[in-house]
Amino acid sequence: MILGSIIFLVSFLTLSISGLANGLSQDNASLIKDLPEGHFYLSADAEETYNLSKIDPSIQKDVLKNHADATALSIQMGFLHNAEEKQLSAAFVTTSDSPLFPKVRQGEIIVDNSFKEKGVKIGDQLTNDQLNRSLTVKGFVEKKKFSHSPVAFVNTQDYTQMYGQKEMQMLFIPGDTTIANKDLQTFSNKAFLKAIPSYSAEQLSLTMIIWFLILISGLLFAIFFYMMNVQKIGLYGILKAIGIKMTSLFAMIWTQMFVITAIALLLSALGSQLFSLLAPDGMPYHLPINVMTQLSIVFFIVGFIGATLSGLQIKKIDPLQAIQKGDM
Amino acid sequence: MTVFSVNDIRKTFSNGEVEEEILKGVHLSLQEGELTALIGASGSGKSTLLTIAAGLQTATSGNILFDGRNLSTLSANKVRDVRATQFGFVFQFAHLVPFLTVEEQLLLMLDVAEVKQSKKERAANVQKLLQLVEMDHRKDAYPSTLSGGEKQRVAIARALIHKPKILFADEPTASLDSKKSKQIITLLHNLTKTLHFSTLIVTHDEEVLPFVDHVIKMQDGVILPTKDDMYTK
Repeated sequence: MILGSIIFLVSFLTLSISGLANGLSQDNASLIKDLPEGHFYLSADAEETYNLSKIDPSIQKDVLKNHADATALSIQMGFLHNAEEKQLSAAFVTTSDSPLFPKVRQGEIIVDNSFKEKGVKIGDQLTNDQLNRSLTVKGFVEKKKFSHSPVAFVNTQDYTQMYGQKEMQMLFIPGDTTIANKDLQTFSNKAFLKAIPSYSAEQLSLTMIIWFLILISGLLFAIFFYMMNVQKIGLYGILKAIGIKMTSLFAMIWTQMFVITAIALLLSALGSQLFSLLAPDGMPYHLPINVMTQLSIVFFIVGFIGATLSGLQIKKIDPLQAIQKGDM
Repeated sequence: MTVFSVNDIRKTFSNGEVEEEILKGVHLSLQEGELTALIGASGSGKSTLLTIAAGLQTATSGNILFDGRNLSTLSANKVRDVRATQFGFVFQFAHLVPFLTVEEQLLLMLDVAEVKQSKKERAANVQKLLQLVEMDHRKDAYPSTLSGGEKQRVAIARALIHKPKILFADEPTASLDSKKSKQIITLLHNLTKTLHFSTLIVTHDEEVLPFVDHVIKMQDGVILPTKDDMYTK
């Protein structure tokens, strides 16, 4: 019971922190993370920084012509104002025609649905200091964030007027296709995420916390399984005396570990999903099944090691000592 | 018929530089369907002899002959196999598994002994033995709800469920009052005769002796010449 509670608390904490880490990761870069696996291309002289990158228009034309699913895109942080002159921060994104991104006409804007919470509705007029006309809200996209800001898709002509940059910053080709060009530097989706300022630092800190929690839980597992088994030394000694095989004892210890860990993980998974429902809207929290599954596997491995270590102690128990002790 | 014998068993314990010989060349044999009691003062070596005979510890020298084999030359795993399949154990304390019912204690022993029986056969054998030890009415009870005497009856049933050839009992009545003690030794006596196994019992309890077939007295690691019928019926 005590061990189960400890495993529940530690795994719940680990899952919750993972949920926050993933939530922050989504909040930082869902625009990129939601794209299919593929390759990003920045100009070779951009020092791996997307906002210093300028794709040569002739290369862009060539790539878009030869790769039907390729996209050129640019991203810049900025501000919008609504009718009440309220300032709304946004990551402005413009792309070439692509099924991966919404199509936006000149004078229109499609924004992340978090703008709804700020009172923005379809048909609203939003302005930008660098743009000499207002943009009409044409629609919303579901959870598209970049660098912790909601994404605003604008037409390339409007984008060019806002930032005075004719060249696109990057190219993206989904799938395994890669292009070799000395003027372009290739990034996988993962590598590109690392090129986003603050993304790596933020994720590294949270990942460290998660692994520390797993390490601590590993130690707790080992200590508590050991304590639990030490309490039963008499019982194990008697079982050894009557002739039980060590493999059967290990099977008992592992089964016990599996059942306790499974129940504790199930409860903490339910708890963390409940937490995601109850968490305030502004809190970035995202705990997908695959992350929960990976962490659960890690917990099972850690539990297995803890149980095996205590099993090795049981192996050393002398049945005679157990016989001479009183009843269990 | 002799089914088990120990020959010239010696056991020496080392305590730093001091060596102490606990058993000094002991001979003992057990007959089928008979109870043999090992008596003697504390420190005489009787419990050490029982645990060596039962394969729970090794002798410094000597032979243990059982079923045509010399147990002292077998590997630890082979001795464990013999313990699990051919021997039964009853100790001073019942040492029942606290989270198993009476019936489950016996089923566990069948698993330990790797007895190949159908579920139905197992259940029938468990029921039969529980009837013999008069515990069938408590088959669903947990050890915490049993009295000392009841626990020891279950421990005896557990020791016999896999039909061992030898039952080793180390002070089985020591934690019971004289009434229960008499009931337990009577039960052991009757079961030994009915089921035709051999019992070696280590005891301090003189009231036990009228119920056994042979009495062996130990003193300072040797067996004293004893007149068998001095105690037995």
